[in-house]
Amino acid sequence: MTAAPRKYRLAPRSWTIPALVFVAVFFVMPLVGNLVRTNNTGEAVGQGPWFYYVKLLTDSYYSGVLLTTLEVSTIATLASLLVGYPVAYFMARYAGRWTGFFVFVVIAPLLTSIIMRTFGWRVLLARHGVLNSIFMHLGWMTRPPNLADDPIAVYIGLVHVLVPFMVLSILAVLQGVDRRLEESARVLGAGRVRTFLSVTLPLSLDGVITGCILVFVITNGSFLTMLLLGGGRITTMSLLIYQQFNTSGDIGFAAAMGNVLMLLALVGLGLQMLLHRRARP
Amino acid sequence: MIRHRKRIDRTAVALGCYMALFVVFIVAPIVSVVIVSFSSASFIIFPIPGYGLAWYRRIIEYRPFIDAMIVSAELALASAALAALLGVPAALAVARSRSVGAAVIANVLLAPVSVPAIVLGFSLLYFLSSLALGISFTALLIAHTVASIPYIVRTVLATYRAVPAQFEEAASILGASRFQVLWHTTLPLVRPGIFAGALFAVLTSLDNLPLSFFFGGARTNTLPVVMLSYMENQFDPSIAAVSTVQMLVAIIALLALDRLYGIERLTAA
Amino acid sequence: MTASQLALRDISKSFGTVQALYPLDLSVPEGEMLALLGPSGCGKTTTLRIVAGFEMPDTGSVTIAGRNVTALPPNKRALGMVFQNYSLFPHMTVGENVAFGLKMRGIGAAERTSRVRTMLDMVRLSGLEDRGIHQLSGGQQQRIALARALAPGPRLLLLDEPLGALDKNLREGMQFELRQIQRELGITSILVTHDQEEALTMADRVAVMSQGAVVQLGTPTEVYDTPNTRFVAEFLGTANIFTAQVRGRDGDGWEVALDGNASCVVTAAIPLATGQRILLAVRPERLRIGPPGSGALDARVHDVVFRGATFAYELRAPDRPAPLFVYTHERATAAAGDTVGLRWEPGSAVVLQEPT
Repeated sequence: MTAAPRKYRLAPRSWTIPALVFVAVFFVMPLVGNLVRTNNTGEAVGQGPWFYYVKLLTDSYYSGVLLTTLEVSTIATLASLLVGYPVAYFMARYAGRWTGFFVFVVIAPLLTSIIMRTFGWRVLLARHGVLNSIFMHLGWMTRPPNLADDPIAVYIGLVHVLVPFMVLSILAVLQGVDRRLEESARVLGAGRVRTFLSVTLPLSLDGVITGCILVFVITNGSFLTMLLLGGGRITTMSLLIYQQFNTSGDIGFAAAMGNVLMLLALVGLGLQMLLHRRARP
Repeated sequence: MIRHRKRIDRTAVALGCYMALFVVFIVAPIVSVVIVSFSSASFIIFPIPGYGLAWYRRIIEYRPFIDAMIVSAELALASAALAALLGVPAALAVARSRSVGAAVIANVLLAPVSVPAIVLGFSLLYFLSSLALGISFTALLIAHTVASIPYIVRTVLATYRAVPAQFEEAASILGASRFQVLWHTTLPLVRPGIFAGALFAVLTSLDNLPLSFFFGGARTNTLPVVMLSYMENQFDPSIAAVSTVQMLVAIIALLALDRLYGIERLTAA
Repeated sequence: MTASQLALRDISKSFGTVQALYPLDLSVPEGEMLALLGPSGCGKTTTLRIVAGFEMPDTGSVTIAGRNVTALPPNKRALGMVFQNYSLFPHMTVGENVAFGLKMRGIGAAERTSRVRTMLDMVRLSGLEDRGIHQLSGGQQQRIALARALAPGPRLLLLDEPLGALDKNLREGMQFELRQIQRELGITSILVTHDQEEALTMADRVAVMSQGAVVQLGTPTEVYDTPNTRFVAEFLGTANIFTAQVRGRDGDGWEVALDGNASCVVTAAIPLATGQRILLAVRPERLRIGPPGSGALDARVHDVVFRGATFAYELRAPDRPAPLFVYTHERATAAAGDTVGLRWEPGSAVVLQEPT
């Protein structure tokens, strides 16, 4: 008899068009343009499309920056994990009624600008800063070092910014781990540490991985911390792009660096999607 | 009668101490800045020699600070609104579909958050310049909107998926047209997601340096950009004062929002 | 003949490779409550959703009050629907919920208020206009959902397992109340349920469905007392199933030999042939327990359970893998281990029309 009309649907597909057009024009196209730009500007004219990339990989300074970027991201990620996991564990298992308070504490830094936080670490760690004045007051030292210009300051500043993301990623998964599984392990005779290593940690791995990838990608893109702390001794790719843009104006080169950074970001994204699919059968 | 001594959970105590240190770690830089903002010294030193509001006065004197604050605020609100206008319908359209196309669309809309902001800012600057938009508030708005869309889409997707389809079916059977269902049923139920996403978008936009940096100009400097350039030239406590004011504004805005609408209710699923 | 309020002609539906509904014809006269009864996956919910307009049939047409609505979206069909979980709008008050359909029709505020009051009186929840939904109990929510569905005066009322979320006592009370309201208003209704008791209590006719097709359509008495197939017999309650062979006519009935050699007389609604193998179904409450040899067959009592209103006997017979059940009001006449004889009236055994 009569054929079936179209299915009833509240939000038709056409509603995605404005957003898709906007993103296609103002996100995809500029990035594609960036890819093209490395071919035909500045030093690369007449040198072939791979000129800048070769320069990046072969010149010792630039390849050093690339390695530094990876190094800083890796260390910052691990540090955030080590600092953040106990926090997440505490909040999931012991906070009880105070969980909301702690969530607020963890998120509160995000209400302040990153400039304020990084500036704050300068204040704390500088030669005439807070930490030194406390130590001097306590008589622990006579000649205060300038920690703010030491590379360690960069890591401190980074971890301070990254830990909230790590904690929230892990917390979300930890809250889903059934406490009774831990209790079963305890009843069966496993000590605290053993229970943690064989029950809690594996089950929270999803959150750990999500947090690590998130933090790694964020670190790749950050440059303010390296700019204001560490005395300029740590230069990562993002910072290089910033400097390149400010000083030499070699657009093609900056674009190439941007593309390498993009590649790193895509690798991180790909890893995340891969792991997500593995988690959901 | 046997009296039992309460068994002390050593792990809890250890973790508790750790948490105390952690809270200090989180709060220390922020508190330090606030304290320094009241310093009477003309450079950054601790302990501060005296108290004064000199640096707060500086905010008003140094024109770019106030201008930048206004630009940042306008930009954050406008970009969040535009992102919502674009992102909410799109999220509603793909949230419940299981097709590959829907997943692709969702991923495309969520992608901007995964790209390093500095690369995006750089690319957009040249792209928009070629469109004769160059350094302007419009260009800045476009950039921030692109960066904000993922936040809105993400939260609306999550919220809408959690709403049972039956509410909309019930409204439909009762005679509501498609737009009436949207207005009376869907939007009220999805509102927490929209608000949470918008809140994220506003906070990220206010603090966004890498994106705004490329569009810096007399009329388009956002606060982070101004603060950074100030810091590179004059390193004095006025930065602390500006930061403190910025933080206070954010806190007051959140409190006001909470008082008016209830943050829990707005952002709870 | 009463004009049918709802007519489904040749409705079929498949989802991907799964055929949810085979071509189906159904007519519901005005004022009738029809129950679609069956296990999950039988197609009853799909049928309801096609009537509502949430699913489009692959073939066929839906006609409501003489109008072909197949191409119309749900909001243009003038229907009322009560959902399984009520789906009361959580961000609106009771009054706003009930008034919603009226508001969508553009009815003015004053009239909306008075209609809401009437509806709340009808479901015996007067005065609750300003309550929040979460402040109501399950039973109250159910009644508000009904009031909301009926407020705009729909031509057809759809009920999707409306009582599933209520506990037993509340459910029985609501069954009667719902029925009463439906009768008073004379509104044609379709009830979808997997609970046979609910279907038998509330409906004028029951359509028993299985695997995408209607297996039997009839009044509650018809489907219970004279089930067509084994599926219907066993779905609508417990049934003792016997295989037998037709021996020959015996007056108005037929003499059949139950496997296991006992023989008895049955009446059949359809013509039988000598030598034909048939299935018989006998309800547990129609079996009588007597001394061994007094009935169609003997069996050994395996267990006796006191159920309050009845005693339930579970019996085992040789050559029968499945146990037999007898429900009786009489005080225990036999105990576990006893051998007894089972008999029934000739009309109590139903010959099942199994597909050949």
